[in-house]
Amino acid sequence: MSFIVEVEQVTRRYVQGSVEVMALRGLTFSMRPGEFTAIVGPSGSGKSTALNLIGGLDRPTTGTIRVEGRDLSALGARELSHLRRDRIGFVFQAYNLMPVLTAYENAEIVLALQGVDPAERRDRVMKLLSDVGLDGLEDRRPDELSGGQQQRVAIARAIASAPAIILADEPTANVDSETADSLLALMEELNQRRGATFLFSTHDPRVMDRARRIIRIVDGRVESDETKAS
Amino acid sequence: MGTGIASMAWRNLWRNRRRTIVTLSSIAFGTMLAILSTGFGDHNFSQMIDLAARLGGGHVTLQHPEYLEMPTLSRTALGASRLREIALADPDVERAMLRIVGNVMVMSASQSQSAGFIAFDPAVEDVGTISVLDSIKEGELFASSDARGVVLGARLAEKLGVRIGRKVVYTLTDKHGEIVQEAARVVGLVRTGAASVDGGLCLLPLDRVRSLLRYGDDEVLQVALFLGDQRAAQDVAARLTGAVGPGATALAWYEIQPELSGFIAMKVASAWVIQLVVMLLVAAGIFNTLFVSVMERLREFGIMLAIGFSPARLFSLIMCESLWLALVGLALGALVTAGPYWYLAEVGVDISAQLEIQGAEVAGVAMTPIMHVGIYLDSLIVIVVAALCATLVSGLYPAVSAGRVAPVESIRIV
Repeated sequence: MSFIVEVEQVTRRYVQGSVEVMALRGLTFSMRPGEFTAIVGPSGSGKSTALNLIGGLDRPTTGTIRVEGRDLSALGARELSHLRRDRIGFVFQAYNLMPVLTAYENAEIVLALQGVDPAERRDRVMKLLSDVGLDGLEDRRPDELSGGQQQRVAIARAIASAPAIILADEPTANVDSETADSLLALMEELNQRRGATFLFSTHDPRVMDRARRIIRIVDGRVESDETKAS
Repeated sequence: MGTGIASMAWRNLWRNRRRTIVTLSSIAFGTMLAILSTGFGDHNFSQMIDLAARLGGGHVTLQHPEYLEMPTLSRTALGASRLREIALADPDVERAMLRIVGNVMVMSASQSQSAGFIAFDPAVEDVGTISVLDSIKEGELFASSDARGVVLGARLAEKLGVRIGRKVVYTLTDKHGEIVQEAARVVGLVRTGAASVDGGLCLLPLDRVRSLLRYGDDEVLQVALFLGDQRAAQDVAARLTGAVGPGATALAWYEIQPELSGFIAMKVASAWVIQLVVMLLVAAGIFNTLFVSVMERLREFGIMLAIGFSPARLFSLIMCESLWLALVGLALGALVTAGPYWYLAEVGVDISAQLEIQGAEVAGVAMTPIMHVGIYLDSLIVIVVAALCATLVSGLYPAVSAGRVAPVESIRIV
């Protein structure tokens, strides 16, 4: 498969009260497996909207989005739900862990939804938590973890099922710079070691520094698309 | 594994402890109210039916097919022994008694009074088939079925101006429409506290009355049947009506005593209405708890949908929370009900003061002064199932709302 994500001439129009907002105006780009890419741009440029559409959380007004060759507009709610569960990982700005679950259970939940055997789940999740630096914190609830630790759990949850792509919406926005650096280092390592594909939406220069490709969006369109020399 | 729906639902329930405890309390106390009020009804109405059966024609009565329309002593049940055998072959029938019942005129030297009479064999009947036998406060029961003696209600004896040992004459209309009478001494006085019994009951020996009325040896007016459980009366009556042949019919107690049946039906209906209102109030409380809980978690549901929960799974999660509420509420209900239920079953509530004011009988049946609870298993199952259903139905709308959350709007990451 040549592309993992294909976005073709996508528009997204919202109506907020009596005002019509064009969040995306013909967005077009594609991604290959293993990329570590950031969508950047000013507030309101359509970065998060693009991530939501690629993640199947929202539907475009016009245009086509394909994930691993599957046209999202052709999928029903149930199929989209399965796609999100099996092929897409999310990391949110505000961590968004399940407050009633422990770190281990939060990381495990997608595998449980997939029906993975409990013993296999345990092996994979314990290794994953170790990889993200949460050894010994498995039994802590989110309110017993720091912001950085919670985001590590969120990253573990996102990559637990080995999805095709991980969509990270401003993942460093709520943490201090030291924690942001360590989280980015972690995601970069997961990208390199595990081949996980990351697509960030960000303002953070640290993310832009580490990203190997930067897609700049202005007014809902791609203004520039640069791949750094390796 | 803690990520199963049941486990998550359980933990979600305790995120707002106070709200959950208040809801569980309302389920528990609603259940207690339902069990105790139904238990009172089941026990006391059943007791009234048993008392009525032991003062009337049993739980089921075998009699002439036309006796109910025209109750005269000429409409007899022939082949009484055969009827009795057929009845005793039914698994629900415990005892079958041959009787003659009707109206009698009792005369003393100075007065005459009409009364209802029961003629029976004292050798085979006891307080289990004629309740007033334990209320013979003066004198005693006639010794045999052909003894020359009569037991009167105490108030009736007063009106007649007679006491134990005095002679009275009782007058009946025989099988052929002739007036017949016999003299007998008063051997006992019944005092129950119920005006209709004390003022209008006359107990007579069966064989003497049978002879007086010129009945055949195997002829009586009715065969009174007593069941282990009065609730089987309808089925037994239906079975026996087919089995006894055209010369007799089987009637359940409520057909013989429609006044008592109507009273009980009215009381049961009003109790169910009250319980329905309580159930609705409890359901409204559960709905409120679940709905507020869902509204508070919209963002969380959006995240859950994003990571792969299906709307159906979110629906299941809320329904599972609802089920937990029901199960824990019912368990709590069982705990808080156990003590009061035990007390009311063993000790009961003394209503003798109220009975003195209002009279000690309902629809002609003397009431016992101590009210107890004793719920039927069927009623208990209905209450438990109704509470479960009310809780689950209350969770439906919140659960559907959770399943319909739009991820983007609830996460608000646009």
